[in-house]
Amino acid sequence: MKPAGFPFSKPTWPTGVPRPAPDRRVGVDYDHEWSRRYPVRLARAVVLDNVTRPAARIVAPTTVRGTEHLRHVAPPAIFAANHASHLDTPLLLTTLPVRFRHRTVVAAAADHFFDRHWKAVLWSFGVAAIPIERARVNRRSADVAAALLEEGWNLIVYPEGGRSPDGWAQPFRGGAAYLARRSGRPVVPVHVNGTRHVLPKGGGRRLPRRSPVSVVFGPPLTPDEGEDARRFGARIETAVAVLADEVSSDWWQARTRAARGDTPSLRGPDVAGWRRSWALDPRPEAPGRDPWPRV
Amino acid sequence: MKSLVFERNLPRFAASRLASTFGSGRGAGIGPLRLLETEPPDLPGPGWARVTPLLSGICGSDLATLDGRSSRYFEHIVSFPFVPGHEVVGVLEAGGRVVLEPVLGCVARGIDPPCVACAGGMLGGCERIAFGHLKPGLQTGYCADTGGGWSHAGLVAHESQLHPVPDAFGDEDAVVVEPVACAVHAVCAAALHDGETVAVLGAGTLGLAVVAAVSALSATGRVEAPDALLVGARYAHQRHLAAELGATASLDPEQLARAVRRRSSSLSLVGPRPGRPTGPLTGGADVVFDCVGSADSLAQSLDMVRPRGRVVLVGMPGRVHVDLAPLWQREVRLVGAYAYGTEPLASGERVRTFDLAFEIVAAHGFGRLVSATYPIERFEEAVQHAGAAGRRGAVKVAFDLRHGGTRHGDAPSASTRPTRPAHPTRPARPTIAGTSTGGTS
Amino acid sequence: MTPRPGLVLEVDRSTPPTLFWHGERFVLERLPEGSRIVYAPEPLAPLEDPVAAIRRALLHPHGDREPLPALLRAGMRLTICFDDVSLPLPPMQSPDVRQLVIEQVLDMAAEAGVDDVVLVAALALHRRMTEAELRHALGDRVYDAFAPHGLLTQHDAEDPTNLIHLGSTEKGEDVEINKRAATSDLLVYVNINLVAMDGGHKSVATGLASYRSLRHHHNPKTMVHSRSFMDAPSSELHSSNWRMGRLIADCGVRIFQIETTLNTDTFPSQFGFLQRREWEWGLRDRATYVATAAALDRTPPRVARQIFHSIRAPHALVSVQAGEVEAVHAVTTANIWKQQGVEVEGQTDILTMGLPYICPYNVNSIMNPILVACLGLGYFFNLYRGRPLVRKGGVVILRHPTPWEFHPGHHPSYIDFFEEVLSDTTDPVEISKTYEESFATDPWYVHLYRTGNAYHGVHPFYMWYWCAHALDHLGRVIVVGGDPAAVRRMGFSPATSLDDALEIASDVVGRSPSLTHVHTPPLLMADVR
Repeated sequence: MKPAGFPFSKPTWPTGVPRPAPDRRVGVDYDHEWSRRYPVRLARAVVLDNVTRPAARIVAPTTVRGTEHLRHVAPPAIFAANHASHLDTPLLLTTLPVRFRHRTVVAAAADHFFDRHWKAVLWSFGVAAIPIERARVNRRSADVAAALLEEGWNLIVYPEGGRSPDGWAQPFRGGAAYLARRSGRPVVPVHVNGTRHVLPKGGGRRLPRRSPVSVVFGPPLTPDEGEDARRFGARIETAVAVLADEVSSDWWQARTRAARGDTPSLRGPDVAGWRRSWALDPRPEAPGRDPWPRV
Repeated sequence: MKSLVFERNLPRFAASRLASTFGSGRGAGIGPLRLLETEPPDLPGPGWARVTPLLSGICGSDLATLDGRSSRYFEHIVSFPFVPGHEVVGVLEAGGRVVLEPVLGCVARGIDPPCVACAGGMLGGCERIAFGHLKPGLQTGYCADTGGGWSHAGLVAHESQLHPVPDAFGDEDAVVVEPVACAVHAVCAAALHDGETVAVLGAGTLGLAVVAAVSALSATGRVEAPDALLVGARYAHQRHLAAELGATASLDPEQLARAVRRRSSSLSLVGPRPGRPTGPLTGGADVVFDCVGSADSLAQSLDMVRPRGRVVLVGMPGRVHVDLAPLWQREVRLVGAYAYGTEPLASGERVRTFDLAFEIVAAHGFGRLVSATYPIERFEEAVQHAGAAGRRGAVKVAFDLRHGGTRHGDAPSASTRPTRPAHPTRPARPTIAGTSTGGTS
Repeated sequence: MTPRPGLVLEVDRSTPPTLFWHGERFVLERLPEGSRIVYAPEPLAPLEDPVAAIRRALLHPHGDREPLPALLRAGMRLTICFDDVSLPLPPMQSPDVRQLVIEQVLDMAAEAGVDDVVLVAALALHRRMTEAELRHALGDRVYDAFAPHGLLTQHDAEDPTNLIHLGSTEKGEDVEINKRAATSDLLVYVNINLVAMDGGHKSVATGLASYRSLRHHHNPKTMVHSRSFMDAPSSELHSSNWRMGRLIADCGVRIFQIETTLNTDTFPSQFGFLQRREWEWGLRDRATYVATAAALDRTPPRVARQIFHSIRAPHALVSVQAGEVEAVHAVTTANIWKQQGVEVEGQTDILTMGLPYICPYNVNSIMNPILVACLGLGYFFNLYRGRPLVRKGGVVILRHPTPWEFHPGHHPSYIDFFEEVLSDTTDPVEISKTYEESFATDPWYVHLYRTGNAYHGVHPFYMWYWCAHALDHLGRVIVVGGDPAAVRRMGFSPATSLDDALEIASDVVGRSPSLTHVHTPPLLMADVR
């Protein structure tokens, strides 16, 4: 059948007439202001509490520790966490105490989460993501984040700038420290453990595999007098490493090692590929799979 | 005199079409074919003679026509009402048995000078098939003026159409000369080369005739000798016959692709999966004879022919839905093979197709492929038997007209072989006609 | 209670019917009075702390080898090879022995700072393992540490860049094995020695070899002269492998062999009746038998197959030894005999066996007719030392549905072997002369073997050669309950019932033959006096 021509279909653009730029912008320029308006916040809160949270708990039975450190933190605050999986964000959002949870935005890579309009809409709505350029320092991104902190929004930042490729952390970047200095808000170090077993980066796995995870919050940090962003950033990394140590050993050992300054690095041993992987925690024992009824 | 007459009658046509969805030949009783009293046809001119049929075969193309499944292309090159039957052995008024070469070329049509094809002896390629002093009709048995083989009234044939039958030939042998000639023509059209791998899809009358033609013609050096002749046949007795006639291997159709792959050491584009162990091959057979003529068989042929190989359509296809992308990409030559005429052979001679066919029939005792004969009064049964030939263990079903239409209600004379009692009386030789349109023999 | 040894029972009037495996089913058959039934010894007690035992074995090697940690140093090339999916049978419950051993080896390697470690599945010409199968055999920890870096490989006998020709033995046998393994500073081979045939020099010389090398011992002549290949000293197959193994050692390939033996605890406790003697079946055993048999009768074969292939055996480690190949293997073989050996007095006219749903080559797959023949005539027939259980010219009666069915992905060449080769001849010598070469070099099979999960094109030939000794020895093979067309294709006689089969057998062995039934699995090895 012949397709119906103009005027029953969209007109083609004359070659001689220049085409104006599309008005919908994606990437770092995406306008996400709508996602913080009241009705959207309400809808997001409903989805977070009734869909995201139970779903996350099903695939990743979660232990949460250190919420006592948040008791005396006045919002807004910056949460700086290690990053191993796409599961980290929904997990963090759903484990934050309620007074933070529904007023938190997440710094998300503009090139990954905001490269298509539909993705931008999805993430802005689902986790209140804001686009951050990770390839280079972008003043606008920083301004937006700072402005949001000013407005009283909490911020989740992954200072590694992306998910870990092999299970060990990557070096922390200075964004969170910079924002803390600029806004004067405290940084809460967070360690998320085990999400790579549920939904690792790459590997072709699309469906999550059930495995227990833990989230540990540390005591809030504020930049010292005269401490620059780089130094403060390193302090944040160490704070997260101490939390990691606490998960794999115990609180006392972690504290003593921290005091001696020999907390194991988040970045793992500097050896060949398989030994780095071998040094990782083994996957927690999977629940027994026996298809036979016991008689 | 009783004849089976095929009339242009749309409601009956529709009815048989509908009935044939339950099996080929099921609609014979309610279809456009009817048993009527007819007069013998008039002689159209000098050089024509009356022939009284003795045996007349039911061919795949006849079945397709009766089922209402043949292509509308033929609408303009047949004329109604016609008496079907083009595989005919009969007697002349003057005495003497003859086999009919049914194609109505320029000479028979009184066209002078004849067209280029007819002048070259390539009757099948005649460019005047619907013209001249006869009504349209590509063959005797599809032309209103000539009569056809399914009749006691007889038919008229031009002297150029007649081939005398040697005394040693039984009527059963003679009646299969025509389909064998079709196969001979197809084998010649395939232009075989030494050492090639040949696959034959389907082992009804035509498939078996192709097998016999390839082995007989290559044995006598008339065509170059292929290395392997693989036959895909659905029924066990077809496989036995194919092996007897000279197939290297006769296999179940689903094994055929695997055997072709093995022999050509080719890869398959699709990995093995349950129910489909091979996909389209990257190499394959040099020549595939499609003796079925359905969309499935054509697709299968394209899957197992090598790039730049040949697929020869022996069975009559109708409107089929086939993906031609492999044909384009692999530069496959799709060769039609209709009828007969004169064959230029590898040895350099030019021989009439029918002469070669007579030789092959004699060499293989082909008359044993006639599995059952019926009087025309019982045409419904006959057509149903032909339609389900494969399943019912038959190869060729024919009408027996030797008793002047007097033997009403007789049992089919399946085992009556008056002239060649030496032949083993195998019960049931099937064709693939049960599921397809078969060939235009 | 200490496990009881094997038993040869003489059937009398009070003997209850005997359990026969029948593919994905089982049936109770009443054997003629006076028949003998050979029962396997009961499973030995497992090692209490397998991990400690493994460490102890690695630290106290047999023969002329230093402890493993002393062999490991930073900067070395270490290759760890392990047996593939064909062992053990059925696949064992997690954790697999290979996982336990390899984790210990890797811990030692990590401590020593060995960076260059590669794992190789010693497939020979078997199919490549799937991710799930590798994860099951090695555990997630090993898989996740090696597979993403491309360090978990599967031996590819058709990869010319990763094969090395080490030379020829004094009998002119080519030795061509995996290059990475042969050029490593240390080759650690982790075995599961389920039967006495496994392990020794066969691990490396067969498991890591190419077709060029394998054809010297995987051929009808060698097989006919391996009597049996479960008994290395009388096995031509093993002599050839030993020659090759010594050549490999002479070429400077340092092998640290680890061999493990499992007990014969073959089926989960729910199926306890399968490895219990019928007269000792309790109420629960009888109830589960009746329920299972009734349920299986109503289950479509495909579903039944899936159910059975999901069985994980509770096999437990009973011994682990490491060190120099020959010294280790001697200890291993003794341990296997301790578990599986049964003394049997004299041969028999008729040997019956019920074949289960699984053999080494159809794990997670379909047991096609060739594998049925191989399991019955290749494996079970050969589970003897001294003389075969059945006399020369005797009859073997197998019980298996023998469906004309093949797994197209795993056994593509089997289909063509069955259709093309066996329809021509069933004589192993003839088959090897006429067809082997063309199947071994068929590019499609090579492609599927290298990239898919297919057995090599020549593998069905080996299955048939495996039967060569039995085919040579026996007067007739009868398959009860099999697809008649498939059974006849292989040159065997189909029978509908055991009585029928005995009737057919009487043509060969007379009216009052002696009959022996091997009640297996669990596996047993007959020491025939």
